[in-house]
Amino acid sequence: MAYAQANDTAHHDDHHDQPATGIKRWLFATNHKDIGTMYLVFSLIMFFIGGAMAMVIRAELFQPGLQLVDPVLFNQLTTNHALVMIFGAVMPAFVGLANWMIPMQIGAPDMALPRMNNFSFWILPFAFTLLLSTFLVPGGAAAGGWTLYPPLSLQTGDSFPMLIFAIHMMGISSIMGAINVIVTIMNMRAPGMNLLRMPLFTWSWLITAYLLIAVMPVLAGAVTMLLTDHFFGTSFFNAAGGGDPIMFEHIFWFFGHPEVYIMVLPAFGIISEILPTFSRKPLFGATSMIYAIASIAFLSFIVWGHHMFVDGMPLAAQLFYMMSTMLIAVPTGVKVFNWTATMWRGSLSFEPPMLFALAFLFLFSIGGFSGLMLAIVPADFQYNQTYFVVAHFHYVLVPGAIFGIMAGVYYWLPKWTGHMYNMTLAKAHFWLSAIFVNVLFFPQHFLGLAGMPRRIPDYAVQFTDWNMVSSIGGFFFGASQILFAIVVVQCARGGKKATSIVWEGTHPTGLEWTLPSPAPYHSFSTAPEIP
Amino acid sequence: MNVAGQGAARTTNSKRRIRNGALGLAGLAIMFYLGFIALLVFRRYH
Repeated sequence: MAYAQANDTAHHDDHHDQPATGIKRWLFATNHKDIGTMYLVFSLIMFFIGGAMAMVIRAELFQPGLQLVDPVLFNQLTTNHALVMIFGAVMPAFVGLANWMIPMQIGAPDMALPRMNNFSFWILPFAFTLLLSTFLVPGGAAAGGWTLYPPLSLQTGDSFPMLIFAIHMMGISSIMGAINVIVTIMNMRAPGMNLLRMPLFTWSWLITAYLLIAVMPVLAGAVTMLLTDHFFGTSFFNAAGGGDPIMFEHIFWFFGHPEVYIMVLPAFGIISEILPTFSRKPLFGATSMIYAIASIAFLSFIVWGHHMFVDGMPLAAQLFYMMSTMLIAVPTGVKVFNWTATMWRGSLSFEPPMLFALAFLFLFSIGGFSGLMLAIVPADFQYNQTYFVVAHFHYVLVPGAIFGIMAGVYYWLPKWTGHMYNMTLAKAHFWLSAIFVNVLFFPQHFLGLAGMPRRIPDYAVQFTDWNMVSSIGGFFFGASQILFAIVVVQCARGGKKATSIVWEGTHPTGLEWTLPSPAPYHSFSTAPEIP
Repeated sequence: MNVAGQGAARTTNSKRRIRNGALGLAGLAIMFYLGFIALLVFRRYH
């Protein structure tokens, strides 16, 4: 294994310390930093592709009536916007961060399975080329929503098998990435780095990786059965053949709800790294943070029914899913309390990572509160399939997951590149994002409460004003993300030298800060001393 | 037991642990995949 090569002093050649040149460096990459970089660049590209779809959606919804796209294309865009953002942007970004940071945080020279790491990345460009090419086939791309509910999803045209194959490839990639994370953390920690001393980002990823291994195969099983229903005459979900379409919803959301936490738990870990650094205090209740993440992960497996209240279910089931969902507020509350207590009487400074972390804290909480509202069964009957739901999950995923990713990138970017980035531009990116993400999504609460259904290209005229506000917010939010790309590219190309601590005047904990900036190609060729 | 930068004997042990860990987790994932399908097939006919 490449890990053994990197460590085996008897066969330690110089070329292992230097990256290959040209395309080979990336095509045959086994170095965790190179693979992490590829994941992050890939996710940024997908973020802009998914974002472009969102811009078209918001442009169409700027005013009532059909302006830009026909309803079928509109539904294709909403479906693929979700698939691209979830599987192409958010998840690969966190895997990229994991690749970069986990070996550095645990004192390892690389990931445990570097060749599998290469394979799990390189599957993704093929998966998404396949997914995006479905727009070009007869019948167009999938248009039944990212949840792929039958029988609607079975009406997809020639692109259906391409969609299913793409989802399988994404799933295989995620599972391989998760296996790599777990075996790396369990086997390659430096001596003295016991589990409770591990940084919170690594802890959050360990738990996330177990979630991935538990639920991605369930999604794969569900879409395999959709495929056999479509092509091989089975009737798993076909009521006419004695099947049960509701069963698909159960299976899908058994995957789908933990999937939400797969996209959020690593962000929790990042925020738990950043807040102590810029508060100049240790994390309050670090051990309870780990237990809270584990509790949230456990609860995520028993709440899936809250996505299906309107399907009809026994009262006892409604009560169970409502209360188990509300129970998630307890460990989440522990985390928010601990983050707040970390900042209490701290010596705070507001660099870009801290700004994004603070925005995460406030805005993710809004998404959490609207989630509590949706957990109430009779209220959900009203909110279901309205823009209130759209507002809720976008608050969780944009100022939640994506702000978490941006906070992490701004926190560790100087460590990766060896240069400080343009603080003014990064702060401008933050303020524009923080303002316009609210202009974009907050009015959608009002639209939902007023009864505007989701997944429609046209709407009743009384919804016009808030849709215009939301679209304007969307255009500015989208445009401001170009600043992010500029900051990152500028920082990669040069700038003021970063020190090993990077954030002077703070005392960040974690082994990554003991390394020079930029971090050497192999982080720890000998095990670091952990006091 | 942790392995980074340690001797050849431990490296061999760690390689085995890593391989076994990876195979175990991959087996678990495949079991979940086939298990769910088997569950639905069973439910379909009972």
